[in-house]
Amino acid sequence: MIKLNNVSKVFFPHTPNEVLALNNINLHIKPGDFITVIGSNGAGKTTLLKVISGAETVNEGRLTLAGKDITACPEHERAADIGRIDQNPLAGTAAEMTIEENLALAFLRGKKRGLGQAVNESRRQCFRQALAETRLGLEKRLQAPVGTLSGGQRQALALVMATLALPKLLLLDEHTAALDPQAARQIMALTAHLVQTKNLTTVMITHNMEHALRFGNRLIMMHRGRIILDLAGEEKAQLTVPQLIEKFSAASGEDFADDRVLLETVHQNNVVA
Amino acid sequence: MEMVLISGLQQGLIYGFMALGVLLTFCLLGFPDLTVEGTFPLGAATTATAVMEGFDPIPAVLLGAMAGALAGAATGLMHTKLKVNNILAGILTTSGIYTVMLWAMGRPNISLLNKEDFFTQVLALCGITSGELSLRAMQISIILILFLMVAAARLLLGWFLRTDLGLTIRAAGNNEKMLSALGVDVNQTKLLTLILANFLVGLSGALECQLQGFADVGLGIGVLVAAIASVILGIMLFGRRSLSWLLTGVILGSILYRGLLALGLWLKLPAENFKLVTAVLVLIVLTLPNISVFNKKAAPRSNADALAQQGPIN
Repeated sequence: MIKLNNVSKVFFPHTPNEVLALNNINLHIKPGDFITVIGSNGAGKTTLLKVISGAETVNEGRLTLAGKDITACPEHERAADIGRIDQNPLAGTAAEMTIEENLALAFLRGKKRGLGQAVNESRRQCFRQALAETRLGLEKRLQAPVGTLSGGQRQALALVMATLALPKLLLLDEHTAALDPQAARQIMALTAHLVQTKNLTTVMITHNMEHALRFGNRLIMMHRGRIILDLAGEEKAQLTVPQLIEKFSAASGEDFADDRVLLETVHQNNVVA
Repeated sequence: MEMVLISGLQQGLIYGFMALGVLLTFCLLGFPDLTVEGTFPLGAATTATAVMEGFDPIPAVLLGAMAGALAGAATGLMHTKLKVNNILAGILTTSGIYTVMLWAMGRPNISLLNKEDFFTQVLALCGITSGELSLRAMQISIILILFLMVAAARLLLGWFLRTDLGLTIRAAGNNEKMLSALGVDVNQTKLLTLILANFLVGLSGALECQLQGFADVGLGIGVLVAAIASVILGIMLFGRRSLSWLLTGVILGSILYRGLLALGLWLKLPAENFKLVTAVLVLIVLTLPNISVFNKKAAPRSNADALAQQGPIN
């Protein structure tokens, strides 16, 4: 569905701070894929999602979406097909507007906006239904300003907003990382539920190796702007966390360097022991 | 004392259009639009020139408002297309407007003595000959006309800000990145808001010109800080409980502010101090915690507040 051909992205080019964030990336995301992305610090995971969503432009290479070249399309023109959620719960919602107004903005994702009432009874009905799936009781609080919600509730709302208009592709950038463990579990469960019931093609960055293995049908590992591992199907399903770390070392020639990943891995091993 | 009331209401209602415009840009869009200082006299100058050229007052006022909208578009295009900083874009437009006004009027000010004015023409359309009205009846008619116009603007704006298109203005002020990710060209939203807001400011200037019977290139000095003071007054007194209160509140704030000015003049307070007093008062209010209305990013509701209000999450 979406293809990246030889995509490269350089930050601060021609300066001492030059960073090659994406180094000749080739990736074909097929319809129905649920890809988890892991990688060390500064591997280019977030840049990859930003390049796909159009929040960042590429220096080299081409992107095509359903056969159409979108390399030069600005973010707002891709938004009809691509929903994105950031790590920061404040980023995906408008705090001073009500829940229903936020949803009304998402309802017309990528469509022309005219002079019709943004919130009417038929739309409310649809909003309530979508919010009920979060099981957080948000459907009873349509008129509450979003600023009064907790981080977990805001991220749940952001998820509903990203999926309400059924985008072709859903991009999740460590969307549970800033939440407390319980909220993170709820948001992950909601994510899996929405992706499955709405049959969404999804790319999810995570620093949680166990999540990376448990969710999705395909796993990508990134390092220094490159995709160093791309596993799918049976091969991914069989994999364990220690094997994954081993594969990383073998493919990159370095130890896995993301303290958050290691901490969680140690924690999981302790729990198992 | 009666003059205080009449002047406060007339001026307050006229500047109420400007307060609505400033609310749109400064508060809702989060765009500090300095064009206002140029748009206001531009509205007046355009109207005065149009009347001198033989236009009827009603279309002349409309032209004044549209000149304001054009100035807003100039600032908007400078900011969105040429990537000029928002404050600088407004300053550049304002500076350019000064010359445009001198070109149009041919001199720094125009007096419209002995010309039929906007209010007389509106009354004539209603079948009332203003020559037969007492001075007092005329003053009250002007207040009524202005009241109906401001109320209409208030209602239209209230409706518009709740439409799909209007919602994007508030969203752009809240979270620009989110809006872009939802498929809205934020630049277009900014441009639209600036045009709309400066239309209102231009209308304000046009009406002021018709009420005072003259236009002057210096009419805009200090109007922005006055408008901000009105908006703050409105928000402080009538709150931001809802969009409706916000819109009505800033108009009431404008009336109150102009009423206070008129009262100050009546009490023979030295008028040369007013602008400094206003500036200091605005500064004090802006630095008071929790009232800060022009700095929304600095005052997000903390999670702890939200928890205390809503009970346990999850």
